[in-house]
Amino acid sequence: MFCILAFIALSIISIFSASHRWLAKEAFDCVFRRITLRPCTTGFKEKMKAQLVGTLLSRSAIAARIVNRHFELLSWILFITTVASIFWTGKGLYNYYMYGSCNGLNKTGFCALDPKGENNKVSQTGGSCVDGAGDESKVTLTSVDLSLFPTVDKGVKDSVVFIGCYSCDYTRKAYPLIQKLISENQVNYTFAHYPIKEEMLYLLPIGYCAYNQDQNKYWRLNDKLFASSKEDIAKKEFVENILGNLGYDVSAINSCSQSPQTQAAVVAQRIELEKTNIYGTPLVFVNGKGLVGPKPYRVYERILKGFRFW
Amino acid sequence: MDITKIRHDFPVLSENGIYFDNACQSLRPQSVINAVTEYYQEYSACAGRSNHHLAAKVTQKCDEARTRIAKFLHAKRKEEIVFTRNTTEGINLVANTLNLKEGDVVLTSDKEHNSNLIPWQILHRKSGIIHRIVRSRDDNTFDMDAYKQALESGVKLVSLGMTSNLDGVTIPAAEIIKLAHQDGAVVLLDAAQAIPHQVIDVRKLDVDFLAFSGHKMLGPSGTGVLYGKYELLEKLSPFLVGGDTVSSSTYDSCEFLPPPEKFEAGLQDYAGIIGLGEAVSYLERIGFAQIQKQEYALNSYITEELQKIPNLVILGPSDPKERSGIISFYISGKDHHQIALMLDASTKIMVRSGQHCVHSWFADRKIPGSVRASVYFYNTLEEAELFVKELHKVLSIL
Repeated sequence: MFCILAFIALSIISIFSASHRWLAKEAFDCVFRRITLRPCTTGFKEKMKAQLVGTLLSRSAIAARIVNRHFELLSWILFITTVASIFWTGKGLYNYYMYGSCNGLNKTGFCALDPKGENNKVSQTGGSCVDGAGDESKVTLTSVDLSLFPTVDKGVKDSVVFIGCYSCDYTRKAYPLIQKLISENQVNYTFAHYPIKEEMLYLLPIGYCAYNQDQNKYWRLNDKLFASSKEDIAKKEFVENILGNLGYDVSAINSCSQSPQTQAAVVAQRIELEKTNIYGTPLVFVNGKGLVGPKPYRVYERILKGFRFW
Repeated sequence: MDITKIRHDFPVLSENGIYFDNACQSLRPQSVINAVTEYYQEYSACAGRSNHHLAAKVTQKCDEARTRIAKFLHAKRKEEIVFTRNTTEGINLVANTLNLKEGDVVLTSDKEHNSNLIPWQILHRKSGIIHRIVRSRDDNTFDMDAYKQALESGVKLVSLGMTSNLDGVTIPAAEIIKLAHQDGAVVLLDAAQAIPHQVIDVRKLDVDFLAFSGHKMLGPSGTGVLYGKYELLEKLSPFLVGGDTVSSSTYDSCEFLPPPEKFEAGLQDYAGIIGLGEAVSYLERIGFAQIQKQEYALNSYITEELQKIPNLVILGPSDPKERSGIISFYISGKDHHQIALMLDASTKIMVRSGQHCVHSWFADRKIPGSVRASVYFYNTLEEAELFVKELHKVLSIL
């Protein structure tokens, strides 16, 4: 058992250290002999055991004695740990590549490849920006009426639904990636504004009215809002200025915003969005699969294209 | 002898732990290293072939080394010194050129290094010589009675290790040679383990051939010497042949040079030869009386301490005086390799473990192997104390 363990460990070390390659070769010889049902006669295990125990001996005689006595048991434990560790490392790498998190789709927890958890951070519905902490398995589009939201319907089967908040950092991080995704691929695209902060609530009726007044200009308005600073878009005058520059009838939008029908529509939109079980923004659905937090571009693209991605 | 001063001469000793593997290979003093380096840096040319000034210098330096070694061995003339790569080559040279025929008896002891065993086994298969073995006494010392008895059957060559690398026991060479000569036998001594530790006077011994290596006596590795009485060397047929072994050649014949040239085929290890000459000078400066005194002091201490360890068996006689600088031991139930490896891993104490190229002896006695600590004059009592202390620690966990 020790030979297999040593072979795995030394093979990895040998990638970086030439001086360990002959040991790895010796370990391989031992493993090969075992596989071919021959006894390992190289004395590799004894040699390594003596070196390990000897090195320990210079630090602690008790530890050396324990290792010497239970060498086989310790080898087994280390072997199982190594195999498990290799499995979990492989799984972690797979998950990171596929979902942007070592722990799986929308899963938080430490990931060495994303130590700060950037790919999973969300602006929580409570208002603060932290790691996603809701129940990521429950995010869904089932029974959500997307017709209530601004949509570019290209009549294709692929779809991207982007639920985010104009003033949230992680939505802002994901926005250009989603724009790239929808510009490079034929998809039906839906955007839903889900304000996390109170000062952004006023944009809900404005967005609703702007979309109804001119759908083409609405998408440019979206770009402008995401491109502007969070402080600026918190000011109504600033947004009105953008609307004006885009050629919108600002007074018509203002009066539309205050109409009871608009208020009811905005509430209806909110109710629909709650059905997604959203707990933070951004929440992106690519062909129905929910992704919480800003993921690397490859993750969106891979899910969108499926087998075509490879 | 100022050991602290001497230790400064050996660069390896400064930071490489405790070197107790001197029976395998000794360390080299700076003067030997310098001699070798000087050759490569200042006059790395051929000897004996070219006529330019560098070649002349190499020729002169090699000749000086040969003269120095001849004097060191108390040889009659420098031409009795043949440079070889090591002891093994020297023994093989004699084995293959002495013209041993079917039925000729070669006598060795039962604890010869493979270098002095395998050549005779091969000759037995190839030429039908008879290889006889004189068994040692129970304490591994030379059994003179058994030897005398073996001589009675008619022996052509007696080939013995002068000092055993197994246990450090030195044979009574002078008496052995005298008896062999009385019976008309030629004597070849493997002096690899003897020459670093004692004065060897080949004329007093009246030995016919004597082979040793440079690497055990402070010299460069890959160097060795075969001493042979000149009249015997003349009679030997050439072994390795080629460049510099002949004075002239035609397409179908050649004229061999006299000894030692006829045995020194091809370009020699000039740096090594010059380094070996320097090693001899160094040993002479220290003096064998001082060397033996220090070895005995260390061996006595280690032996005394090791004898206190239960089940520990020291190979050879219990008296350290009879074991040169070697303390070879085993403990039943404890793996010799484990002990050696752990000493190295824990405290960088370097000893040898295994069967020390004397597999035949271990196989005969059904002993798996031994740990061999071999000290030299540059080792200290503090090192010996640490060795004993660490050995106790290792044994306590095994």
